[in-house]
Amino acid sequence: MNSLVLSTFARMFFWLMIAVSIFILYRGHNEPGGGFVGGLVAAAGFAILALARGVKAARGTMRIHPVVLMGTGLCLALVSGLPGLVTDVSFLTHWWLHAGDFHTGTALVFDVGVYCAVLGGVFAMLLRFYEEEAP
Amino acid sequence: MPLTLALATIFVGALLARPIAMRLAPHGGWVLAIVPAALFILFASLGAGLEGDSALVETTRWVPSLGVSLVLRLDGFSLLFCLLITGIGTLVTVYAGAYFAEKPREKGANFLALILLFTGAMLGTVLSDNLIVLYVFWELTSLVSFLLIGFDSHQTSARKAALQSLVVTAGGGLCLFGGILLIGIALDTFALSEIASRGTELTASPLAPAILVLVCLGAFTKSAQVPFHFWLPNAMQAPTPASAYLHSATMVKLGVYLLARMDTAFASMPAFGTTLVVFGTATLLVAGLRAMMQSGYKAILAQSTVGSLGLLVLLIGLDGELAATATVAFILAHALYKAALFFCAGTAIHATGLTQVTQMGGLARALPFTATAAFLAAISMAGLPPTLGFIAKELVFEAQLADAASVALIALAVIGNAAFVTIALLASVTPFTGQAVAPRPLRHAETPGLIFGPLVLAVSAFVFGLAPWLVAERLVAPATSALVGAPVALSFSLWHGLTPMLALSAVAVALGFGLFLAWPRMHRRLGANETLARILGDAGYNFMFDGLLRIAGATTRVLQNGDQRRYTATVVGATLAIVLAGLAIDWPGLAFDIDSEALRPAPLVVLALMCVGAIAAIVTRSLLGSVIAVGIVGFGSALIFLLNGAPDLALTQFSVEVLVVVILTALLVRLPVRALRTRSGSERGVDAVLAASFGVIVFAALAAMTAAPLDLRLTEFFASASYPEAFGRNVVNVILVDFRAIDTLGEIAVVSFAAMGVWGLLRRRTSPKRAA
Repeated sequence: MNSLVLSTFARMFFWLMIAVSIFILYRGHNEPGGGFVGGLVAAAGFAILALARGVKAARGTMRIHPVVLMGTGLCLALVSGLPGLVTDVSFLTHWWLHAGDFHTGTALVFDVGVYCAVLGGVFAMLLRFYEEEAP
Repeated sequence: MPLTLALATIFVGALLARPIAMRLAPHGGWVLAIVPAALFILFASLGAGLEGDSALVETTRWVPSLGVSLVLRLDGFSLLFCLLITGIGTLVTVYAGAYFAEKPREKGANFLALILLFTGAMLGTVLSDNLIVLYVFWELTSLVSFLLIGFDSHQTSARKAALQSLVVTAGGGLCLFGGILLIGIALDTFALSEIASRGTELTASPLAPAILVLVCLGAFTKSAQVPFHFWLPNAMQAPTPASAYLHSATMVKLGVYLLARMDTAFASMPAFGTTLVVFGTATLLVAGLRAMMQSGYKAILAQSTVGSLGLLVLLIGLDGELAATATVAFILAHALYKAALFFCAGTAIHATGLTQVTQMGGLARALPFTATAAFLAAISMAGLPPTLGFIAKELVFEAQLADAASVALIALAVIGNAAFVTIALLASVTPFTGQAVAPRPLRHAETPGLIFGPLVLAVSAFVFGLAPWLVAERLVAPATSALVGAPVALSFSLWHGLTPMLALSAVAVALGFGLFLAWPRMHRRLGANETLARILGDAGYNFMFDGLLRIAGATTRVLQNGDQRRYTATVVGATLAIVLAGLAIDWPGLAFDIDSEALRPAPLVVLALMCVGAIAAIVTRSLLGSVIAVGIVGFGSALIFLLNGAPDLALTQFSVEVLVVVILTALLVRLPVRALRTRSGSERGVDAVLAASFGVIVFAALAAMTAAPLDLRLTEFFASASYPEAFGRNVVNVILVDFRAIDTLGEIAVVSFAAMGVWGLLRRRTSPKRAA
């Protein structure tokens, strides 16, 4: 698609969507959002990039192979459950760090894993759909 | 913790075997054999500490919530199997190292790793006291057997035989699993030692017949009993070291092992013994007959293995201490001579490149040590003194006579033993003596690794025959008492005087010699009879397997016909039928909650917009237009979620809609802008009726659902536990990443697998023209 307007704005849109997706991912624990939605939004960002500037540019921006990203996400989610296995003999019982009112723990690692798996998976499928029309 | 450590050691060894063997080739076999050899010494020393019918028990917690623990129990019978597994395992590892010496390194290394893995699985099976754990290891042996049979994966016949063995043994394994679960229901325990002592309770249970059938199916498939006897001879596609180890000495005896274990539990159920006697005898006869029809060296040995397994099953079916002693002695004797003969067969086939005994002759000059081992092992197999085979066979006859078995049964056993004599002669005299049939240079000569195993086994059969006290008190007696459940005093010696058993032996040997002399003519006559070969072979299996494939093909042609509209219609129609059935069942008490006063203006406006979108999607001829129209419906439902207090759902729905529109736009670029009319009027009519009734039914179902009072317990729990326990105020996300994280893990795994499927299937094929 050769639209000057789209390709000019695509990069801006893309960064905006990535930023929003990370924000959605992080706030998910207390406000609406989470890894799944974040991953979808990020995938949409990459999709717009691919639509406007071509598959090559989008893949270049991602740097690593989408299937590898997907696998990394799965592994992250899997690994985040292991600490609980050690201490409570219960897989995916999360560990927590507390600093006053601020709480973070392996649940965040799990959500990042979900984010990566969804982004990688959806983008991999998108690439296959786009690639056929790409020169 | 010696038992647990032993198991851990062998599995770690299997894990490290490949890199070690790659580095040390061609001497990897000798080095890796240290692992099973060390375990052999360990088990021998542990066994020396066992008194009477005592046992060594170790418990490790595994799945306490299901009542499954890793209970390892070493009693006399397990000890016998452990020593066979590790002892023959050591020799097989050495032999395999030499057998693969001239093949590519990684082939030999892979094979050695599989052999060690199998050793671990076997040890696990015979050491487990918990039936569930036993089942896990049992299936692992089937799996490794599959990999070893299909080891030469470039050959169609190897792949086919591997699949066949997996279908038969894993199918039987499923039956066994059913039987195990039923035992658990009947007795509320999975502990093998406890089940053996609660036999009367088990047989009194109404589930007993089902348990009997299922356990027998599991054992018969594993131990290749009629009518599942066909897979074992086909499994000879495996490299010979694997045949010697899995398919003669150890794995195929697992069924026998299990039946022997269950024998005390089923003692008060006569049907058990009768079943075993009938099927064991049938197997012995069928295998004897089929052995006469073969001329492949390994094929003949394989048939005799099937026959021996039949004999063992028959023996377990008989009652009494004597039968138990005979079982134990025959297991030991058979493992020694049969593994040795397989090794010799492997060396002969390896050296000549031929597979049929009729093609071989005079090999003793070129392979003197192998020939010696083959003759020694054959003497034990034929049951001639002074070998362990003789003692075992005498005990078998004695057990049959003591059981007051019918004359016909004894006659059949004599014929079976005569067949063993013939096979022993065929496996030793025919290939190694006489004129060299194919006087061409041998491809491979004997190496120390190739003769070590067969010589050790064949010589030990003689040593144990001449000095039976070596194994009597330390091995045979504990194993027998473990089966009987009480300490036994046994008469285990070479010479019993002039007994009826001796007379039967003489008859069997004479008959065997006669059969051997008549073999060339008989073999030609029988071998030419194709109908008989088919009936006794795997014709039934092939018929069922092909039938299954035909059914699968037919259903695929009907259901997966490639028309997306038909798929959608099928899914919608099926859903409709299920929901309608549900509504019809609940009809009398069904209430509908339609409260017109609760209608709010905002959702109504959105709904109206969605209706416009839906109608536009149907009416428009432009594909792009209909994508956008469908998008309106999607965004509308997201708004509805938002208006009803489900922001998370709304956010997800928005993102999904955006993605769908982006993806479809990308695809539509390549399609004509206007859809072609491919549907006839009546087809569109059917579609309309399906779609409309789907809408109506879903509406009715939802209205009925909301009329019922909601169970809010879970909602309240999550709402109250979300922050204190998982430190998150967004309940939806907390459920996803914490309370139900394992579900989410499964879901992202599904997403990933789907993406990988798309990635692989939609790979663009670069046409050669463009590539050039």
